[in-house]
Amino acid sequence: MAVCVAVIGKDNSPKYIRCSDETAALQFHYKVHTSIDIIEEKLNTGNKMAADVRELFLGLLFSTEEHKIFGYATNTKIKFIVVLQSTNASLRDNEVRMIFRKLHSAYANAVCNPFYVPGDQIQSKGFDTAVMEIMGVS
Amino acid sequence: MSELPAELTAKPLALIGVTGLDTVNNAIHRLIWDAFSNNRRPDSAAVQFKILSNAHEFPTVKPKRNSYEWYIPKGILKRNWMNKYLNDIPSVVVIFYDLDWNDSMWNEKKIECASRVQSLRAAIEGRSTKIAVVLIQHGAPPQPGAEDAATTERATALCAACELPAKSLYVLPHGDHLLGYTLRLENAFYDLAQNFYHLEARIVKNHRDHLNKTTHQYLFVRHQFKMGFLNELKQDQHMAHKHYQLAYNNLLDIRMVDTNALEIKTVASFINYKLCRLMFNLNLPRDAISQFRAHTDRFKLKVGPKELMFEHHAWMSGQFSTFAELFDEAIRQGLPAVQTQHPGYYFQLAAQHATLRQTACRDLCKDVNEYPEPDPLAGQDKLEYYGQRPWRPGKLSAEPADMAREAAAIQALQHKEKTTVNHSMIIIGLLGHAISQFKTYRCPRMRRHLVVQMADEYYNSRDYGKALTLLMHMLWDYRGERWPGLLTDILTKALRAAYLSTSLQDYLTLALEALGPTSCLPKDHQAAIYTNISNILQKNIPNPEPHLPETTAALAMEKWNIIVNKSEPFVITIDANNMATFMEVKARFTQKTYTVRSNVTIEVFIRNLYHQSMEFSKVSVTVNSPGYSSEFAVSDIQDKPVIFQEKETKKFLCQFQARQQDVGNEIQISTVSLYLGSDSNRCLIMRFSALGGENNVLDRTYPEIQQIRGSVLEFDNMRPLVSAEIEQEESSIKILADSATPGLLGEWLPININLSTSEQVASARLSIVLVPDGGNDQSTELRLSTNTKQEAGPITVDIPMIEKDQAIHKIVYIRAHSIGNRNIIMKVDYSNIEEVTYSREITYNLPMVKPFDITTQFYTTLFEPISKGFVYEPFIMMPNIICSSPSPITIIGTCIELGDSMQREDEEVQESALSGITLCNGEAGSEAYCIIPKAGSEQPASTGVYTIQWRRTNSPTDLVTSSSVTLSPLWVEETPVGLVAKLPAHGSVRTPLCVSYYLRNYSDYMITLQLTMDASDAFMFAGQKQVEVCILPQGERKIEWVLRPLVAGSVALPMLTLAMPSGAYIYYNNCLLSTQISEDDHKVSRSRLGEMLERSLPSHIYIMPQSQSV
Repeated sequence: MAVCVAVIGKDNSPKYIRCSDETAALQFHYKVHTSIDIIEEKLNTGNKMAADVRELFLGLLFSTEEHKIFGYATNTKIKFIVVLQSTNASLRDNEVRMIFRKLHSAYANAVCNPFYVPGDQIQSKGFDTAVMEIMGVS
Repeated sequence: MSELPAELTAKPLALIGVTGLDTVNNAIHRLIWDAFSNNRRPDSAAVQFKILSNAHEFPTVKPKRNSYEWYIPKGILKRNWMNKYLNDIPSVVVIFYDLDWNDSMWNEKKIECASRVQSLRAAIEGRSTKIAVVLIQHGAPPQPGAEDAATTERATALCAACELPAKSLYVLPHGDHLLGYTLRLENAFYDLAQNFYHLEARIVKNHRDHLNKTTHQYLFVRHQFKMGFLNELKQDQHMAHKHYQLAYNNLLDIRMVDTNALEIKTVASFINYKLCRLMFNLNLPRDAISQFRAHTDRFKLKVGPKELMFEHHAWMSGQFSTFAELFDEAIRQGLPAVQTQHPGYYFQLAAQHATLRQTACRDLCKDVNEYPEPDPLAGQDKLEYYGQRPWRPGKLSAEPADMAREAAAIQALQHKEKTTVNHSMIIIGLLGHAISQFKTYRCPRMRRHLVVQMADEYYNSRDYGKALTLLMHMLWDYRGERWPGLLTDILTKALRAAYLSTSLQDYLTLALEALGPTSCLPKDHQAAIYTNISNILQKNIPNPEPHLPETTAALAMEKWNIIVNKSEPFVITIDANNMATFMEVKARFTQKTYTVRSNVTIEVFIRNLYHQSMEFSKVSVTVNSPGYSSEFAVSDIQDKPVIFQEKETKKFLCQFQARQQDVGNEIQISTVSLYLGSDSNRCLIMRFSALGGENNVLDRTYPEIQQIRGSVLEFDNMRPLVSAEIEQEESSIKILADSATPGLLGEWLPININLSTSEQVASARLSIVLVPDGGNDQSTELRLSTNTKQEAGPITVDIPMIEKDQAIHKIVYIRAHSIGNRNIIMKVDYSNIEEVTYSREITYNLPMVKPFDITTQFYTTLFEPISKGFVYEPFIMMPNIICSSPSPITIIGTCIELGDSMQREDEEVQESALSGITLCNGEAGSEAYCIIPKAGSEQPASTGVYTIQWRRTNSPTDLVTSSSVTLSPLWVEETPVGLVAKLPAHGSVRTPLCVSYYLRNYSDYMITLQLTMDASDAFMFAGQKQVEVCILPQGERKIEWVLRPLVAGSVALPMLTLAMPSGAYIYYNNCLLSTQISEDDHKVSRSRLGEMLERSLPSHIYIMPQSQSV
């Protein structure tokens, strides 16, 4: 299951970031942050080729010995980043896509809250629950 | 790549031995050797030439083994093997020998050559090294095709003597084209060499049949490796790849235990290196990468003995860095790399493993303090096999050997690792490589992360200054990223580094930022930092940051002691613009413009974001204007410290007087400074830009939804206004000009000028000047009064003193002679009672239009329009005045001054019919004059000048303007004959009336005319019906008829026709005409007479009916 889930705003600052292991949170922050490099690059080249029908799922951004980092960018340039354990080889591309789809709809629900101001940190119990589910913590 | 032996990393080249060349003494030999060994081009054959001295000893051939049954290999790869094939065993030995075909000593030389071959053959006994003989010949080379029987015979004989195949004998003519010959020889040798390596590989391959899987696993690897290497020497990369791959696979089959772990990993790294390099060369980068990944994945868990954990990490780190260098090399050869796959990642992993190595070393070696005696590592460089332990070489068994010896060896290795390896430098070096790669492949954030890691490593190696420099740079970058967690992390590290390197300025800067809202430091840490700031300002030593190594912290505190206790006061200025500190500042001008000498007010808003109260000794604002800047302290505190409670916002005012120098310029609030600590002693100045920094990030990202946030705080809603303009102050004098508009041409138009003032004016001077419009400057006159003539130049009026609220009235007159707009500048220079002079000017615009248009119409006395007149024939001239002035005008009188050739019919002066008439816009008035032209001319004759005296009807003044207009000229023709009819105005039916026609001859000749009176139904008449009359020059003739009208009404008179009798002369139009000249002239004359009759004679007459009563 995922070890870290992050939502990055369109200004590339974190709107939500949650790790299963809070003691290693800083390392995950750095990892998620550095993967923005690749997301930006992918989004830029994507715009050049086909701006209209863009695949939101960006695929594997980065893999280290321990972790695999997957990315997803909405049309409003909100980015989702999920870090999976490399040892978890059973997780296929399609399942990762499903994770992102779940995350996207949870995000959409969270920002539909009329008291949420776009650009703020996400503080939503519903979103927390969805993320916990993705991380398999619940 | 430092860990790989040179023979492995060298590019394998076929070795070709050369003998018989005396390069020291023989110049020709030297030349030949240079041709072979130097000038090697990249595309020439992959061979390496080596001169073998006569004393050269070839490695001895090991006795051939017939059976491997009892042979147990002691290791995998022998240390000397690769070097042997690279440098000691030539594939071909070439014997150079000076011999011409026609040499006089042929037979002796042949024998000597043969003996040389024989002795070489003896030396390489047992090897399949090829032998070739090259004859260096000085004679001319034989012509190709011209086969010389003697040459062939001698060559065969030589071959036979040397027991060489004919193919191995070469001839090198020494002359021209040496390089060409050597190139061809080189290729021939290369072929022989390939042949040799092929055979060698085959020999190794043949050993395989004797091997068995249980005892000879090492040999499987060794043999495949040898075949791979030999194929590489043969330059067959595909075969080499195949064999290396098999060698690698065989290696994986070997069971790995602690005793052989190092050897297997060493050999694995060799084979992996060869494989990856070949695959990059064969343009199979993906295969290379996957081979490498499989390699590291497989071995990363095979740690080996736990006590030597650091060796494993060193090995892993070496694997990654070696691969990264291979990858980088391949990229330099043209391989394209992408953002997600480039050498940087491998350098990064290498650095990671180097860090692990460092950690492992720290854990394992911390207690090792002395090197064991005797040295268990002695003889490390003389081992027979790669990767074996010097204290138990060739021991294959997995059983524990001598335990004491083993322990001593491990201690020796640990001691070596601890004392001789500089881990930090390795890590920093690898990180440096990775950083430059990530920079190349556009991964700025990754790069920054690596720089932070590098700073960590500098910190670990106690180079706090460098760590601080790197972290300060990164702090700058990470501020823009807006990741609070990461920023806090770096801030904490930087604070520690700054503390330990005792950098006062940096420490204070960082401390101020640490108190700000963007860092997520715990509150007690923030409080400690705040205490440290005040400590420094009060000459106390700041407390060490948490988690500092104790020894260095103590050292740092001593240094702080020196810094803090320096006697001289210090002032530290910190630019708070680029960091998010705990104070927020905004400033604005209250107005966009200020007038000179008025008070400029700046509002400064300061908010404390820290969770405790803050105290500042001074708040000041720096204002910039072109040329200088000045600092003003805020006015509402008088040397009292300002205290901000937690989250409190305060507003300050700062006032100063706008300066005269700044008129027309912009002044700007450049900075707002907060002074922390007392001014005199030591103090910390925080400089803010008045814009409030960039803290409000959301403003930039979602400006459209900021109103949702609905903040009611004054601070958030306040928009900074950092620049204001300074203007000249409003003048106290007002000028008002007024006149009837538009002005009319020719009139003296009064313009009323009113000066009013709101303060007392000591003296003033009004000047009025017309703006020249580029046209005729004489067309407009400007005067103070209509009577006096004004000299040219501006009109000036001196006004002595104006009391407050008093108005001064002046009139200036303007007269224009052409239409168009006139601009008049009215300027007042005045000085107030303080003798300060000011000036004020306005521009008055006045359009000028024509008051009226005058047209002229001409009529006959019968009021028929005419286009030309005739001499002595009266006509009527009517000047027509059409008013085009928007305001009504009244005509006082008109008069006409006739042209020279014109004369009024009645000389008595009559009053103008138009006198007193008022004309509004569009209305017209006209009067008639009866004029008799006295002379004809070729040109249109001037009829006269019409003068109208008029004034504006509504004008309060009675200024009369007189306008003169030249009336339209008229063609006047001469005519020889004039006719005037005299008849009563009307007649009555059956009452006779007398009609007399006067014929006048204007010419100087006698004219004879024939008059004919046609009969008419309306009249009976008495008189001559047809008569021929002669008229004397300048004479007149009267002809009378008595008419008796028969009908009433407007009755046509009987037609009178005039004709020239034939044979008569007239003088007409200044030329003598004869009737005999032509019919045409006669006709002209007739038609002219007809015209004359028509305009002179009335055609009808009113006849009244007869009164019944009479």
